[in-house]
Amino acid sequence: MAGIGLSGVTKTYPGGVTAVDGLDLTVHDGEFFALLGPSGCGKTTLLRTIAGLEQASAGTVSIGDRDVTRLAPGQRDVAMVFQDYALFPHMTVLDNIAYPLRVKRIPRAARHDRAREVGAGLDLADLMARRPAELSGGQQQRVALARAVVAHPKAFLFDEPLSNLDARLRLSARTFLKRLQRDLGITTVFVTHDQAEALAMADRIAVMDAGRIRQVGTPREVFGRPATSFVAHFIGSTPMNLLDATVTGGRLTLAAGTLPCPADLPDDTRVTVGIRPEYLTYSKDPVEDALAGTVGIVEHLGSSSLVTLETDGAAPVGVVVEEGAEPEPGTRGWAVPRPGRVLLYRAGGGDLLA
Amino acid sequence: MSAPAVLARRAMARVGLYVFVGLVLVFFALPLVWLVTTPFARTPSYRVPAPSFTLHNFRILWDNPYAVRSIGNSLVLAGGTAVLAVVFAGTAAYALSRVRLPGRDAVLYAVLLLSSIVTGTAAMVPIFLMLFQLDLIDNRLALVLVLTGGLLPSAMFILKDFMDTVPRSYEESARVFGASPFQILRHVVAPVVRPGLATIAVWAVVQVWGNFLLPYILLHDPAKQPAAVIMYTFYDEGGQPNFALISTFSLLYSVPVVLCYLVVNRRYGFRFQGGIKG
Amino acid sequence: MLFVAPALALIAAFLVFPALWTLYLGVLKYDLAGSNAAAPQFVGLGNYRDALTDPRFANSLLLTVAFVGLSAVLGQNVLGFLLAAVLRDAASWVRGVVNAVVLLAWILPGTVVVFLWQALLDRGGGTLNALLGTPGAAWTLDHPLATIVAFNIWRGTAFSMLLYSAALGAVPRSQLETARTYGAGPLRTLRDVVLPHIRGHVLTNTLLITLWTFNDFAPYMLTGGGPDHRSETLPVYVYRTSIEGGALGYGSAISLIMLIVNLAIALFYLRLLRRRSA
Repeated sequence: MAGIGLSGVTKTYPGGVTAVDGLDLTVHDGEFFALLGPSGCGKTTLLRTIAGLEQASAGTVSIGDRDVTRLAPGQRDVAMVFQDYALFPHMTVLDNIAYPLRVKRIPRAARHDRAREVGAGLDLADLMARRPAELSGGQQQRVALARAVVAHPKAFLFDEPLSNLDARLRLSARTFLKRLQRDLGITTVFVTHDQAEALAMADRIAVMDAGRIRQVGTPREVFGRPATSFVAHFIGSTPMNLLDATVTGGRLTLAAGTLPCPADLPDDTRVTVGIRPEYLTYSKDPVEDALAGTVGIVEHLGSSSLVTLETDGAAPVGVVVEEGAEPEPGTRGWAVPRPGRVLLYRAGGGDLLA
Repeated sequence: MSAPAVLARRAMARVGLYVFVGLVLVFFALPLVWLVTTPFARTPSYRVPAPSFTLHNFRILWDNPYAVRSIGNSLVLAGGTAVLAVVFAGTAAYALSRVRLPGRDAVLYAVLLLSSIVTGTAAMVPIFLMLFQLDLIDNRLALVLVLTGGLLPSAMFILKDFMDTVPRSYEESARVFGASPFQILRHVVAPVVRPGLATIAVWAVVQVWGNFLLPYILLHDPAKQPAAVIMYTFYDEGGQPNFALISTFSLLYSVPVVLCYLVVNRRYGFRFQGGIKG
Repeated sequence: MLFVAPALALIAAFLVFPALWTLYLGVLKYDLAGSNAAAPQFVGLGNYRDALTDPRFANSLLLTVAFVGLSAVLGQNVLGFLLAAVLRDAASWVRGVVNAVVLLAWILPGTVVVFLWQALLDRGGGTLNALLGTPGAAWTLDHPLATIVAFNIWRGTAFSMLLYSAALGAVPRSQLETARTYGAGPLRTLRDVVLPHIRGHVLTNTLLITLWTFNDFAPYMLTGGGPDHRSETLPVYVYRTSIEGGALGYGSAISLIMLIVNLAIALFYLRLLRRRSA
């Protein structure tokens, strides 16, 4: 087992496109680590660079205390699970799981024993004679995992491991993967574009954009205090309100009202205020230090609803309200931030100020 | 239009269709009648025989010193070419499908065009001269290589399409587990594109089986000549065709390709498997 | 690289090299026998001048164009398309039978096929004369071009049929049904829905069968180029001058002219294809 270290890793494709740009990152031993970002942010390229399927144009990759930058994928002692699982269609489940051992020239009987053992652990014992096409999506995923486990690598690399499952199965697979990783204790890096997945499974998350890491932190940190307005916008199942404001006399002036300023900033500083809809309290009566608007759309989320307050000419404000407490569209409403939940970003897509 | 008129038009169209299909059938089947009847005729000739049955003609065929052996020669040539074409075209198509080189497709197209042009009569003079000066006339391996060379571009072209459909993740997965390129090809790629390889093998066999010109100019020893060439020796001194030999031999010589057809038809359906795209 | 090497070596040796050699031989006066066999004489473009001014070459070129146009571009193409279209909705046994005879004509060995056609067209006991009640009609002598055209249609239609049935299968049903809902007749549907869809296939198919027919040597085996050069297509002409007549240099020059014509055809089609995708 081993941690993974990346230092100054850059990947530039022949066409001149830079997918990963001078990136430093340390994944601790035994950690379940998520690379999160929108498509095209370089997260998959980064994972493939760790695997050795792409050569870094600059920088070093180390696994454990070994510099693997120039090593072929097969020499790095990692196992990868691909988005489409990459199960070999002509081999049975048993042969698929045993394949890494076949490459290592382990005798047939021994590798089949080992594959059966691992397969049984993943609840595949009855499926050993089948071919991948005869399995459900969830079963295929478990076979792919079993094949990775059997290789007994220093690290697992998962590329969008849940994206090929339907929505309901994805939730149980999330729990399953997290348990498997905890039980095995093997350092795992996984790539996802789904922030909920990253928040649910990972010990730590790196949020990527345009080939760079925008924030590394625990799910709580990334959700509660996004380091940039990009991260703020990207994380969370209801998008964070990002509103333009100016500082005047220790207060923030927004289009929808004024709020106390959480930081000591000079007058006339232009900032972006970030407040999650979940951290706003709705009130149907006028209150102090609140954002005001007209109720527009009400979207039902299940146990709560997302209310959109329209403000004249400026960005609307989203508020999450309890089930049963939804206001009527067209009425006037106020949203009060909970204490300590107002974040300030430098205006124009900048960093966290407070 | 009134309803009866529509019905009448439909009926006419149907009749027209059946007449068309019937004519086509006659056109295509007519020459084949001779092939299946004459071998069993008592006095075989160009004339399609009146119903009669004898196996005597096959006796004559069996006794001919070159006839049966030439079928064997054809098998050797066809088999050898098929194996080489599958192996070389397979490896090359795999590499070409995976390596991104500028102008790769243009080169492939150029070679394909060259092959459909050069394999015919246009190249027979230089090929004859080349093998003549290398003293490789009557050398069957040389002929197999020439035949393979002619088939390779098309085979590569078709196989590359098959290879392109193999997801890259298959190979990358194997690579991460440490498999070498040859192991990947043997364990993963070849089994996945097996229908394509089989198509190429059958296609190569059929091509070589019917090829007359190249063996005719490159093999002069009758003991080595394949069926396509030997068939032209079945004339008597007066230049009259020996119908007993020719008819039975035609049948015997046709059986393997018909079998090939049946096998392909049964296993894959006689269709283009993405090999040719518009 | 290792994967591509054997294929490239064979292609270089047996396709590219002969093509280049053809280029070189074309500028020599090089004969199979006589003084020019031992010491070929450099004649520059002499062979090409001779060929281009030879009325026999002009006749041959014209014949080839007619042969290709009638038998491939029109005959195989249209018949193949019609068969594919008609069989699409035909009863499965009709489809099976028609498919079988048409494909049989395609896959039988060339030499066998030639004998079948000789039996069909024979003056004395030929099936066609017996059927039409025209004993003694010498089809190959009286209508040599028509004979080889009919023969080539018979021989090669299967390919177009297969390709077009695959292509037609890929035309989305929903679009055909849309056309029907708007009341479009079969011809309109063909023009507005089917043809735009399969245009690429039509071009590919026409290119391939054109090249194949252009270089087809089978007419020689049926008519020997005769009578009086009336079915002497270019491949036959090359064969008769260089192998039978022994004028290797001259034959190579003609081969090269054929190569260039082929290339021109291919480029022409590729242009059309590219315009489609543009």
